[in-house]
Amino acid sequence: MSGRRTGSRTTHAVPADGTEEQAVELAVVARQAGVRVTLVRRYVEFGLFEPCPGTNQPPLFDPRCASRLAKAERLRRDLGLNYAGAVLACELLDRIRELEDQTRREPDRSARCGSTGAER
Amino acid sequence: MAVEYKDYYEVLGVPQDASQDEIRRAYRKLAREYHPDLNRESDAEERFKELGEAYEVLSDPDKRERYDQLGAQWRAQERAPDGRNFEDFFGRQDFGGDVRVEFGDADFSEFFERVFGDGAAAQRSGPLRGLDREAVLDLSLEEALAGGRRRLSFEDGGSVDANIPAGVREGQRIRLAGQGGAGRDGGPSGDLYLRVRLKPHPTFRRRGEDLDLDLPIAPWEASLGATVPVPTLTGAARVRVPAGSSSGRRLRLRGRGLPKPGGGHGDLHAIVRITVPKQLSEQERDLFEKLAEVSEFDPRESRA
Repeated sequence: MSGRRTGSRTTHAVPADGTEEQAVELAVVARQAGVRVTLVRRYVEFGLFEPCPGTNQPPLFDPRCASRLAKAERLRRDLGLNYAGAVLACELLDRIRELEDQTRREPDRSARCGSTGAER
Repeated sequence: MAVEYKDYYEVLGVPQDASQDEIRRAYRKLAREYHPDLNRESDAEERFKELGEAYEVLSDPDKRERYDQLGAQWRAQERAPDGRNFEDFFGRQDFGGDVRVEFGDADFSEFFERVFGDGAAAQRSGPLRGLDREAVLDLSLEEALAGGRRRLSFEDGGSVDANIPAGVREGQRIRLAGQGGAGRDGGPSGDLYLRVRLKPHPTFRRRGEDLDLDLPIAPWEASLGATVPVPTLTGAARVRVPAGSSSGRRLRLRGRGLPKPGGGHGDLHAIVRITVPKQLSEQERDLFEKLAEVSEFDPRESRA
């Protein structure tokens, strides 16, 4: 784990349900992901994420896009994927995550699904 | 011994005479298995880093040759009685310049840097934000309701002070910006997400945002009605027990539950539990006997 956390620092906690976080411009996504703007554009072309609805001049993005982009890019670089493959991997990971959340919320139901889980 | 020898062949699970093709295949397979974005086991990241380091060496014919030589000497040295150490064989490699190249989320091992020198890692593809992490935050109901500063400790010995917002809910995620994995090549750090898990409470049972609580009531209080103290998460309150309350009756204290997602609070339900004295005084016994004589109440009437 990173050494940055060693020693104590005070950090303000933000409720992470996204409600109070504001949409950001492409350049901000790039900065927060540590990458160039052209890379963000490329991922938008490949459909990793879209501008928030109704934003065009300039297009605005969900602030969580930076972390999503970084994940796609790590997978692309580390596993030798192409852009489409990295986007697909992210989408599949999202789906796994949703299913896991669902399992946590409804343990009984997931137990029943488990027996027929092979269908999917 | 200053630095521990690393068996890169073992890390990749290939024999010493493995072809470049085999090495590449083994690395790719294991990298998919242990990539920290794909594998959330706590040791995956460490394992992935090792894989990258092993692959960096074994996939480069020059480095591999040097590494193989080292292995032979290392074994010879282990037999040598004079206790010469690592530096006697390789000295301190100095490649000039103080550039430190990172692979993955951290530096290569000290072993790698001793053998190949700082800055010998070739995999460099530009800055990138680090991994987001997630941890479970166990809170009592009181802590969740009140919020406040909380120091969190991590397995690696690090710690962080987090301000927990008042009224966090089960399953809610709290983001600590910049407290995730370190970025690569100077990229920003990822975020740390704390997923709230509410601990079972000795007094209150949670049903969504509502809370249940057993309220012991004397038989005469239940019959005649009474106003009795009741604990809540935010301190003591009083609740009116209407005359003629049987066990199981739910007395609602509106808004004394947990915060709801859309605002407002759930309710606290005090559930009447009629409780009798274990031992009766003489006078109590007299009175109960008198009551038994005169009462026409049959609690089992409806079953007949």
